[in-house]
Amino acid sequence: MQLSPESLPRRARLLPLLHAEHGRRGWLSPESVTAIAREARIPVAEAWEAATSYRDFHFESPAGKAQVCTGLSCQLAGAATEAGEAVMGCRFRCYEAPARGHDQPFPEQFIREAGPLLAPDVTDWRGLERARSVGREAALAEIESSGLRGRGGAYFPVGRKWAGALAQNRPIALVVNAEEGEPGVFKDRALLCRRPRRVLEGIAIAAELLQPAVVAIVVNGEAEAARMSLEAALASPGLPQNVDPWVVPGGGGYILGEETTLLNALEGRKPVPRLRPPYPVESGLFGMPTVINNVETLANLSVAFRDGAAAFRSSGTVDAPGTKLFSVSGQVREPGVYELPLGIRLAEVIERAGGAVSGSVTAVLTGGPSGGFLAPSEFGVALAPGVLHPTGAMVGAGGLVVLDESSDVRAAVLAMARFNAEESCGKCTPCREGSPRMLDFLRENDAGSLEPLLEVVGAASLCGLGQMAPNPLRSALHFWPELFR
Amino acid sequence: MSVRIDGREFPADGSILDAVLAAGIDLPHLCKDDNLPAIGACRTCLVEADGRVVAACSAPASSVREVLTTTERVERIRRGVLELTAAMGDPRPDLPHGPCGVQARQTFAAHAGVSNGLSRRERTAVDSTNPFFSFVETACILCGRCVAACQQLQHIGAIGLAGAGLATRVTPGASITFRESICTSCGSCVAACPTSALSPKTGGAE
Repeated sequence: MQLSPESLPRRARLLPLLHAEHGRRGWLSPESVTAIAREARIPVAEAWEAATSYRDFHFESPAGKAQVCTGLSCQLAGAATEAGEAVMGCRFRCYEAPARGHDQPFPEQFIREAGPLLAPDVTDWRGLERARSVGREAALAEIESSGLRGRGGAYFPVGRKWAGALAQNRPIALVVNAEEGEPGVFKDRALLCRRPRRVLEGIAIAAELLQPAVVAIVVNGEAEAARMSLEAALASPGLPQNVDPWVVPGGGGYILGEETTLLNALEGRKPVPRLRPPYPVESGLFGMPTVINNVETLANLSVAFRDGAAAFRSSGTVDAPGTKLFSVSGQVREPGVYELPLGIRLAEVIERAGGAVSGSVTAVLTGGPSGGFLAPSEFGVALAPGVLHPTGAMVGAGGLVVLDESSDVRAAVLAMARFNAEESCGKCTPCREGSPRMLDFLRENDAGSLEPLLEVVGAASLCGLGQMAPNPLRSALHFWPELFR
Repeated sequence: MSVRIDGREFPADGSILDAVLAAGIDLPHLCKDDNLPAIGACRTCLVEADGRVVAACSAPASSVREVLTTTERVERIRRGVLELTAAMGDPRPDLPHGPCGVQARQTFAAHAGVSNGLSRRERTAVDSTNPFFSFVETACILCGRCVAACQQLQHIGAIGLAGAGLATRVTPGASITFRESICTSCGSCVAACPTSALSPKTGGAE
């Protein structure tokens, strides 16, 4: 039996209330945050520190300004800010760069290659029925034997994560992460807009096997279309009765991709990382053992139970079976989402996406602001979990931003350095103070000062995002040292 | 259960930081307050544990076998963090045996009043509206101890760390002064501050 959101501690209402107020007025005033703090019964200073940490919220009226995307793919496509346009972060519509204006439903034609995940949406609940009929123990064993790994970017084995939460023998919270805040990644939006029932079947299977007390789905606050599609699917008749999730719009920020930050956001606290231990499976949302899975991971669960673990293992690698949704954008002829087996060579993905727009491909950013830029000499690499190059490039969430002969590699590297500087949550000193300085040294071509700072930020930062912030710079200095002298 | 610290065996009780301090080793730990759970924000209590650089405050001593506090690598990285901290403004270590330790004291002293051209702080507010203490923002290193003391120790919630990234600042209420806030002048934040950003007014109430 699942609890309704109202039965969670009252402070959990903070983020939904802030999002609703921001949606109504377009900005948040100290007076409105004060009123919301009273409603959520938390001190004003705590509501204020949380509210002012989200990237999507304005604290003065932005009336009358058009919005232009400043993500990397749009920058490569020549997006330039015109007078009167509000500069935004990535709009996650990299497939139609340069993107302008408000959120749009993910267009079907940008699903370029479909496998089991992006096959036409499910119409029955065969996967759930199978999970139920084999019984809980056998179903959990099947997840282990399928070898399914999380698709949010860390590729942690799903079976092991779940076992960690179940071993606590206490009511579990299931948190579904659709916060998707990495520039160049738009596959969760594609899934939720176009195949919401496959995601819901995955959630239903997880609800069946984990018997969670709470199911929360956090959808990026600006991904209105994805959230509406999900809510429409939840309202459709014939849904499994064990699915009654709490859908929460997020407040924006790359840091929300960090699991414990997402938990703080759901609890109405400032969105910054927590220390580990305890790990979320031990003590997560309001102290409950908590499983946090990406929507793509849960969609994979639907596939694994429909087709069986053996079939699931027939694609991908031995260590990381299954397909992956690659978000391909930048200077490539056919940008969009490509569902391809893990382990596919980067060169083959580029080829399937039609290759460069002008001339040849000169670089590919993999893993976004936490990953790295790869030079053509590396395009033979297999896209599988683990590092793709010693400087830190990785598959991550599956974003591939392609640069061609018209692209300015230096400007792209500076864009990633600027992103990491601006998106630092500010909790720990090395990342907050160090990442803006990395950008300065890079701009000033001061590699001598930059190198030791990369070591400090990488080794001393609190969370994975700070620890990986130096990676794009390391890769750029390795492959294109002449651009930074 | 024991842990080997700089070549000697010690009981593996509490965090690595607890074990290191109990061994009498000087290690800066700017954001760790004796009365509060670890915050993990200042990243100055870095040690090398089983070959990895970790913050000693948040890793259980029982989870590692060997801790080294003075390897060339960890000293270099810790110095880097302390220099970033010093460059934030004008942090002033408070108590002689406080959490700054010798290394932080020396780093702060070496950087005192030196403008290295990199400091990007615009945090220069001074809030003297409370009758008992003042807040001088240039000395603040955003360690979060005052906020933890107010929110978690006293359960008042008069202050928070508003904003994100470089824009983060210690702020009472929703951008108001200490006097206008729900602060009860309990003094916990002042006692928790490791850099005298929050300091008592001498001579009592003005």
